[in-house]
Amino acid sequence: MEQHKVKEAKELGSLLLDVGVSLLSSGASCSRIRITMRRLATAYQYDAHISIAPKSISLTLNIEDEHVIFNGMRSTPSQGVNFKTISGISRLSWEAVEEDLSIQQVRDKLTALLALPHYPRIIILLFVSLAGAGFCFSFGGKLPEMFIAFGATFCGLFVRQEAIKRKFNPYFCVFFGSLVASLFAGAFIKAGLNISFEHAFATSVLFLIPGVPLINSFTDLIDGNILNGIVRGVNALMFSMAIAFGLLVAMIIYNLN
Amino acid sequence: MEWILILSKAFWSGWAALGFGILFNVPPRTLFALWIGGAIGVMIKFSLLQMSVSVVLASFIGASVVGILSIPIAHARHVPPMIFAIPSVIPLIPGVFAYRTMLGLIKLTGTIGTDYNTILSETINNGAKTLFIIMSLAIGVAIPMHVMRKESAKNIRL
Repeated sequence: MEQHKVKEAKELGSLLLDVGVSLLSSGASCSRIRITMRRLATAYQYDAHISIAPKSISLTLNIEDEHVIFNGMRSTPSQGVNFKTISGISRLSWEAVEEDLSIQQVRDKLTALLALPHYPRIIILLFVSLAGAGFCFSFGGKLPEMFIAFGATFCGLFVRQEAIKRKFNPYFCVFFGSLVASLFAGAFIKAGLNISFEHAFATSVLFLIPGVPLINSFTDLIDGNILNGIVRGVNALMFSMAIAFGLLVAMIIYNLN
Repeated sequence: MEWILILSKAFWSGWAALGFGILFNVPPRTLFALWIGGAIGVMIKFSLLQMSVSVVLASFIGASVVGILSIPIAHARHVPPMIFAIPSVIPLIPGVFAYRTMLGLIKLTGTIGTDYNTILSETINNGAKTLFIIMSLAIGVAIPMHVMRKESAKNIRL
């Protein structure tokens, strides 16, 4: 009996840690990670104590009589924002509670969920570029600026994806993206086209803004996860500085002021 | 004429929200909701600006409406509210203010001339706007969960 319980706790602990690190690396806020892990642990009559560091999660599982039965820690793989993982795990945790799934069933569903594909690359490129054009319009750009924003976003995102594939430092990936996008936008200004300087430049790099870390940073701070909030905020700041740096280098190259 | 401009800005902002949704790999069943959410947030913001409300307050109200809408949409589409709310408020991010702040900071590294004070106050003004708008977006998104004091959107009925 005791042996069986220990084995179950090990399986559950490893599953919970996998759920936690997948959420953390996909861009979930700390309270969401904690709530989801607790919900799953409670479903199997365990009491979970969780500590979330910026890049790792530690977990202790207790049974009712305060007896510690599992201790573990896992660090996160580095990967980008993935909302499909977050929504899938949220659904999975509710299924596990409501339909009494076994730990193995949850594990299988989690594996299937993590293997789900992203959107095709060309779709991502086209729609994000369209988003850039949309941004440009809402900031007061006209049709020529919108086309420039579209092209700049397309090139910049392409370069960023290639840099990520080659496993460059993430801030450098953003820097390359920003540099290429602003070089693209700047070329039209340099060519003497009568376009609004500010709109073309400002919107060509907007696809790089770290929106998820920024919003999560404040969410974590409001929830009292101050340390995680500060780390995410500084991370967002570093990305913003990489964007600014790319823009600056492009402006120096073109000698624009 | 102004209202047509606001509507077309809302239309294009919908595409901006949808594009970011695809970048963040949202489930396909939420894409249409994202388009609507992005359009509504921006429509509220620009309508309020039209009534000469300050840009910070207008962004905050726009983001709050998106945050409140995220609860019924979370129920209808079976996703956590943030999946809808974060891409939908991205069109409200003050890109131009952030750009001006950055440019101003670069100019501030130059020598102190006659227009240094102007640049300084403009930069601080743009920076403060950027900071407060982003803060108000984050708070606006987080509002429904915190005001209702519930751990999960499943327990909230609107």
